[in-house]
Formats: sequence, structure tokens, C-alpha cells
Amino acid sequence: MPQSGPFRKVLVANRGEIAVRVMRTLREMDIAAVAVYSDVDRSAPHVRKADEAVRIGSYLKIDGILDAAQKTGADAVHPGYGFLSENAEFAQACTTAGIKFIGPSAEAIRRMGSKTEARKVAVASGAPVVPGTDTDVRQFAQTAQYPVMLKAVAGGGGKGMRRVDREEDFESSLATASSEAAAAFGNPAIYVEKLIERPRHIEIQVIGDEHGSMIHLGERECSIQRRHQKIIEECPSPLTAIDPTLRERMGQAAVAAAQSAGYYNAGTIEFLVDQQGKFYFLEMNTRLQVEHPVTEMVTGLDLVRMQVEIAGGAKLALRQDQVEWRGSAIECRVYAEDPDQQFFPSPGRITQYAEPAGPGVRVDSGVFAGWTVPLDYDPMLAKLAVWAGTREQAAARLRRALSEYQVLGIKTNIGFFEELMGDAEFLAGELDTGFLERYFARRVERTVSEADRALAAEAWKRARKRPQAAAQPVSNWKLAGRVHD
Amino acid sequence: MIDVREVEPGVWSVIDGTRSVEIRLVGDEVRVNGVPVAVDTSDPRQWSPQAARGAVAGSAQVKSPMPGKVIEVLVMAGQEVAAGQGVVVVEAMKMQNQLKSPREGRVQAIHAKQGELVNAGAVLVTIE
Repeated sequence: MPQSGPFRKVLVANRGEIAVRVMRTLREMDIAAVAVYSDVDRSAPHVRKADEAVRIGSYLKIDGILDAAQKTGADAVHPGYGFLSENAEFAQACTTAGIKFIGPSAEAIRRMGSKTEARKVAVASGAPVVPGTDTDVRQFAQTAQYPVMLKAVAGGGGKGMRRVDREEDFESSLATASSEAAAAFGNPAIYVEKLIERPRHIEIQVIGDEHGSMIHLGERECSIQRRHQKIIEECPSPLTAIDPTLRERMGQAAVAAAQSAGYYNAGTIEFLVDQQGKFYFLEMNTRLQVEHPVTEMVTGLDLVRMQVEIAGGAKLALRQDQVEWRGSAIECRVYAEDPDQQFFPSPGRITQYAEPAGPGVRVDSGVFAGWTVPLDYDPMLAKLAVWAGTREQAAARLRRALSEYQVLGIKTNIGFFEELMGDAEFLAGELDTGFLERYFARRVERTVSEADRALAAEAWKRARKRPQAAAQPVSNWKLAGRVHD
Repeated sequence: MIDVREVEPGVWSVIDGTRSVEIRLVGDEVRVNGVPVAVDTSDPRQWSPQAARGAVAGSAQVKSPMPGKVIEVLVMAGQEVAAGQGVVVVEAMKMQNQLKSPREGRVQAIHAKQGELVNAGAVLVTIE
């Protein structure tokens, strides 16, 4: 087969839905995909989708992954997100081994991956920042007014992050955050900053080539979070309807910050936007984001393809004024977790599984019926994203798609999202990072009619009586049953 | 005339008159048109919210919401705690969660040890 792409074979150093998503683009580019897998992932979809698969001990062990790349003759590695994606040593080790790392340089990861270094870069580039420090955490907390925010110097994804409202809670929160940071990132260092009340969390996607050009692909509104972790993301941000200059102003600040760090490939600059619409540089994620599909849907671009092409030495094929944003996209992260139990993880075996389809629907998933969601990893099952002409239609479409999405055997947040898509405050676009907390106070749970309950009870009884029996038409469907919600 | 068919394992199509309903059913889990419906064969007259939540009159329990590992116990027996104060840190799926006291009171007993693996529903601390 003719090879038109920059690489012949790429190893995807990840698992789950993101590994599958990257492999899909590789296949479209005629590039062979190599999977790596741990023992519990032997049957996982990313292994089956790959052309080759290598068993490794851990997705975090650099040596094992490099061995797998060398053994299979992969000429590049895509790190996905999480695991080693923001590990400068890994990027460096790939380069040293003569394997192209599809992402920024090790040096750029080192600079922008550290919250404190990134902050210095942002300040130097002219981006506004929130007051804070990592050098004298206790003293800052004493002099700054509470509330303050604790964050892992090395981390992201909400791990090692704590809001502290009162001085008397400071030490216990610091200890928890620090030990969580150590467990998640191998670095207990904690950063403290002044907390901005009711901020929006809006981020800018940037992408640059290795020849010095960089553009932004607009914003993603990520204010709906639980435990400091995003669960719904959208583009455009509803705020751009109020302030149409916001995208361009934030975009320019993001490109300036990334370029002053010598950054290339895909990256995301996160900002907090306060109630007055002022934005502050928060941090940079030196990798592809979980929520990249919403950007892909409104811009019509394939970010993974762009990443691969750039890593292969290509120049950006797009100028800033050629980027277009059409319609509205919303994504929700489907987790194995129980929204009624403080979103606690709910691992286990999926007994029944059906994904939504139809117009404007995209499902990036890495699970199937019969799959056991392992305790070992992040419990995200899939991302469900939709596109429609307007935000209102996108919300209605997401709600419809969620109603089609059936996962049985474990608890998921699917039903919760379905409720949320009907929420007036969500539909009004009145978002900030405290949105979910307020939502829980006013939440209206879905109700089931008496007739439906009776049908459910009868079906249950019937299946109990004859679990294996073939179904047949009956004329005496009894509307009876002792049920409760 | 109601027509009921199991169209694939665990998925039932029901046509009642002209109304069409899809029922999914695995074990004790039942969904009608995608909406979960709790089915309980016990007599609903004997069910009470209190019994269902396992509440104990006069005291409150802090339970582990899922299987995990006790990372740290933040209180001592006899200590006064405020409502919402963190009492135990449990790690599950790489996430540390501070479990909080549901109300103000005194720590009556601690049932968890640091480093211990606990099941879902395990009572970790009792507040009186």
C-alpha cells in the first residue's frame, strides 16, 4: 500500500476511548497502529482496533512503552491524554530513542507543565494571572483572604486540588492535597492561589507547527465541573454571545503565551473568567484534551490528524483567518459513577450496552457489553458529543442521544446528563464552576408514570419466571406490580 | 391486545394498543424507554426511607460509598466534630475523597484503620 503520510507506524501510548480515537485517525491516514495494554485491558477495544498490540506492565512505565515501540518498529508515539502525555522525560526518551513524540518538545512540556513556570511565561507574554505562589504556601494563605485554592504543582484533572474556606481547615486540606498529588503525579508540591468566586472556566485550543506558526481554534466552555473535573464542555461558550470580542482576545493571549514558551503541536490554555468578564491565565495542558471533539465539530478539523502531520514536519495548512466556527457542539463525559452518591466511581461489569446514533452524534468510547470497568483506571467510559446549528438544538440533540444511550450493570451519569439538558439555567447559558452545586439544590429528577412502572414490574416478573424462555405475544398483559422508585 | 417480544437478550419490545415501549432488563435492573425503574418484590408498605438508608436513631454513620482504601483517619474517638467536617480520607480509583460528618456531634467510635481496604457501605466512623 502506498504510504503518503509522514509515518508508517504509530504506537498509541494510552488506553480506552482516547486510544481508540487516535487509532481511527491513524487508520484514515493509512498509518499502522500499535496498542499497548495491561493485563486487565487484554480484551479492551483499543487492543482489538490496533494492527499490533504489545503487553506492558503499566501505561506509566517509559521503558516498557519504548521497548514496545522498538520491538514493533513504530516510528512515532502518540501519548493521548493522561498517563505519560505531559511527562517531559517520556518525550525526551522518545526523541533520544529516535522515535518521534507526537506533541510539543520535552522542553516546552517542562516549562508549561509546571504551573509555576507556566505562570511566569504567561506573565512575561502579557497574559493576566490570578495572585498566588508555591514558595510560601502557608504565609500566602494567612495574608490573602480566604477562600484560597490548593493545586498540585505537577498535576491536572482535579487531583490534588482543594478549595479551603477557613483557616482552621488549611492544614488538613493541604495534607490531603499533597498526598493526593504525590500519589497521582509523584510530586507532593502544592501551589496556592486566591480563589475567584463563581468563575467561568474557558479554555483556548492552540495548534502550532515546528516552523514557528501558531493559530488558535477558539474556546471551549468547561464550567460544568464536579470535583474540579469537567463533565460537560461546549463550543462556542455562551459568553461569546454576550461578548463577541472575547474569543479573539483570549485567542491572542493564548497564542502569545504558547509561542513565548516555544510551544508547538496541539495545546490548550485554560483561563478563568470572572463575573465581570475579565480573564486570567490558569494553566496550559501540553497535550490533546479530553474535550477536543467539540472543537473538531464546530471547526470541521481533525486535531489528531493535524498533530500527526505537524509531528511529521508539515507546516500548518490553515491561517488564522481561515478558521471558521459553525453551529454549536456539546460534549458530556460518560463515567462509571453514581451521581446520587457524590459521583463516586462505580466499577463493575457492563451487562448491556447500546450507543446512540443519528444526525450530529459522535460517540468516542472504549467499552462494550461484557466489559468489566477496571478499578485501576479513570472510570470514564465514553464521550458523547453532538453538533447542531444552535446551542438550543444541540442541547435537545444531546438529550435525545442520551436517552438512546443504554449502559446496564453499572451506575453511570447518563440519566443525570439527560435531566441536566432540560435545566433552565443550563439552557440560559448561565454557567460558572459552581453550577453543579446549585443544580443539585434545584434538581428535578425524571419521573416514571404508573403505567410504565407496572410494565416494568410485569416484565421483571416474567423474566424471573422464565429467564431463558423465548418471548411470545400474549393477550393478558397484567398491569399490576408492586414497585416503587 | 398487548404484544410482548424479547427482541434481543434482555431487551423487550412491548406494543400496547399503539403505544410502543422498550424495556431493558438485566438482573434486578429494569428500564422503561431508557429510564431506570426500581423494582422491589418486597411489600412497599413495609418500606420506609429510614430503613432503606440504614439510619440509626440518635447517631450518624460515615460510610464508605464504594470499595476503597482508608488513607487517613482525621479524627479521634471522643472528639467534637462540626457538620461537614472531614473525618476520613478514602481512596478509590486513584481519587482521594474526604468523607465528611453528616452532622455536628462527638466521635463515638472509629471503625477504620489507616491502610485498611474497605467495602462499599462499610461504617467507618460513628458520630453521636
